[in-house]
Amino acid sequence: MKKNFVQKIANWGNYPVVTKNIRTADTLSAIRSFVEQHNEVIARGNGRCYGDAALAENIFSTARLNKFINFDRINGIIECESGVLLADVLDLIIKQGYFLYVTPGTKFITVGGAIASDVHGKNHHSEGCFSDYLISFKLMIEDGSVHNCSESENAQLFWSTIGGMGLTGIILSAVFKLRNIETAYIRQESIKAENLDQIFSLFEESDSWTYNVAWIDCLQTGNRIGRSILMRGEHATRNEIDAKKRETPYVIKERLLPSVPGYLPSVLLNRFTVKLFNKLYYAQQRQKKTENIVDYERFFFPLDAVGNWNRIYGKKGFIQYQMVIPKEHGRQGMQEILSAIAESGNGSFLAVLKLFGKNNPFAYNSFPMEGYTLALDFKVNLQLPTLVAQLDTIVEKYGGRIYLTKDSMSKNSLTNYLRNVENPKFVSLQHKRILNSTITSQTTHGTNSKRNRQ
Amino acid sequence: MIVLGSNSEVAQAFVEEVLQRDGNLEKLYLFTSEPELAHKFAQHLQVKYLQESEIVMLDLTSELNFSRFERVESSLLFCAVGYLGMGSEEGLYDTKNTTRVLDINFSRLIPLLTHFAEKMERRRGGTMIVLSSVAGDRGRQSNFIYGSAKAGLTAYLSGLRNYMHHRRVHIMTVKPGFMRTKMTEGLPLNPVLTVTPSRAAANIYTAYRNKRNVIYVLPVWRLIMFVIKNIPEFIFVKLKL
Ligand SMILES: Cc1cc2nc3c(=O)[nH]c(=O)nc-3n(C[C@H](O)[C@H](O)[C@H](O)COP(=O)(O)OP(=O)(O)OC[C@H]3O[C@@H](n4cnc5c(N)ncnc54)[C@H](O)[C@@H]3O)c2cc1C
Repeated sequence: MKKNFVQKIANWGNYPVVTKNIRTADTLSAIRSFVEQHNEVIARGNGRCYGDAALAENIFSTARLNKFINFDRINGIIECESGVLLADVLDLIIKQGYFLYVTPGTKFITVGGAIASDVHGKNHHSEGCFSDYLISFKLMIEDGSVHNCSESENAQLFWSTIGGMGLTGIILSAVFKLRNIETAYIRQESIKAENLDQIFSLFEESDSWTYNVAWIDCLQTGNRIGRSILMRGEHATRNEIDAKKRETPYVIKERLLPSVPGYLPSVLLNRFTVKLFNKLYYAQQRQKKTENIVDYERFFFPLDAVGNWNRIYGKKGFIQYQMVIPKEHGRQGMQEILSAIAESGNGSFLAVLKLFGKNNPFAYNSFPMEGYTLALDFKVNLQLPTLVAQLDTIVEKYGGRIYLTKDSMSKNSLTNYLRNVENPKFVSLQHKRILNSTITSQTTHGTNSKRNRQ
Repeated sequence: MIVLGSNSEVAQAFVEEVLQRDGNLEKLYLFTSEPELAHKFAQHLQVKYLQESEIVMLDLTSELNFSRFERVESSLLFCAVGYLGMGSEEGLYDTKNTTRVLDINFSRLIPLLTHFAEKMERRRGGTMIVLSSVAGDRGRQSNFIYGSAKAGLTAYLSGLRNYMHHRRVHIMTVKPGFMRTKMTEGLPLNPVLTVTPSRAAANIYTAYRNKRNVIYVLPVWRLIMFVIKNIPEFIFVKLKL
């Protein structure tokens, strides 16, 4: 059998699927020679970004950079290689009474991916992004040399790499801070909202809660637009959990993990099934408000319980559309976005609304800005580009932007916000797509204006 | 535990499996020819399990001096030493390649295994788990130098098992089939016949606890190799395997 590193590969949305050169290595010299020998290189963690961000002509997978380096159990500081999954970090730290400060909606992402996307969680309004707890990292740049980066050392490289989508080099390892917890449980409250006005007021009322997130039924119309359930949570203290759990407060019941066996026929997900799902989901909670104690897996990673759930969207795949709209236009913008979606009939199975707090001005490549953010999954079909263009227009009108780690279709003016990352060596398919469409739109714009003048 | 070929992903996954299931090991010796990776792994074990380990340099392509291993002793040995070398097309007439493949998989490995077997015999107990290969079940045109070395290893393990059976030392032969590892990176592997290192390690651990003698990491390989072994030679010779 001949070796062939060229393989079919896609990220979490299974769109686009490309055939590229993908390699992995664990020694510094092997990584260096991969970087030296190839142009158009990008690092790839666990491929949990949805679109084309972790794809390039030559992909370096960090799968083998999966070792822990140091754990200061007294001060809660951990150092590991960039391919270590947050799931592995949690397995190690929870029993020591620690948790991650910031975690996204899946634990199956790598530390490198968390830095490169500067991920946020349900606590952005109160605690910011992953980078707010990052102490330093080691980065291999285009000539194969390795640099230690922190706020005080190689500061420009540090800040441009955070949220920089892999375009500055390959992160090899990182050091970051952990938070203390008394238990592995969350005290949660779920509150129903009939419409957008109610959910926005709920968000504002809940500002003092550490974790806030809302699930929206995005197929509702009229005065039911924005019908949703807000979930807010705090790490439970020892006194808040029942006596039996208190004996082993850091151990939770293991869940059985079912898995989607293969790609499901995509007709299964249509306007009617999505509507039905949303109806049932909303109806299952009877009272306006419920309070309970849930384990951290159920609170943070409900989707991880079903392996390969991305396959329910069928072979053609799906995209996630996540945008942020500045706070002052949040209500208006969301109203228009949700109306456009309901009208298109292109239902989203999963629609999540969050309120971002102030951004860290140093982390200029991070996606979050103060405002409302909505994430929606859409099955890829022929009408989708039209819907995306429509939504993009609304986001642009209100001065918002698109989350690069989810993007594979959006307008370049909403996705070209990265600074200090231009590098001939590290180029992703996403970055090329955005640059190319910038050039094309400039030239068409140019000819237009010429024509106008004539 | 003694780990020969400690940078192999299966070996590392097996060590973690043992640490997770049985708790800490009194002594852990990591034999390696690549100290950078072994140090990384040792540190990882220290952070994750508070497990101390000792790194022992081993280069099977040079003369071995067993006196260096005087202190190294344990009742469990895991050997993942293996070297694929070049396939027949590129490597058959390359003497250097042939020697290297034979040295690492067989001729220099056997004395080393015997050295540790003797220690186990003296302590009247222990288990040796050694990775051989399905390639040793029958010589095929694509990689029969590697296959013949592994066939030799399999035969050695079979004899050693028989010999040691009466001396309370258990020898387990593992035939992995395809695994997603460094060795097979870039090869077009059939996913149904391929295991990840951690899956393989879990299966090997179960077999070790059940005191199995010879295992295929994925049971389907037993069937495949049964068929391949039983094809009459006059037909086999014409096949392109
Ligand atoms: C179910 C689900 C829920 C999610 N929820 C959230 C959420 O709540 N908040 C949020 O912020 N995100 C969320 N995400 C997105 C996810 O957190 C990010 O896409 C994350 O970056 C994925 O990490 P990864 O390790 O899979 O990286 P990949 O997807 O492989 O790569 C993502 C980007 O990081 C770069 N990169 C990866 N590793 C390195 C490295 N070592 N060095 C340099 N660059 C690197 C890649 O080049 C690429 O640009 C979610 C994703 C899923 C599937």
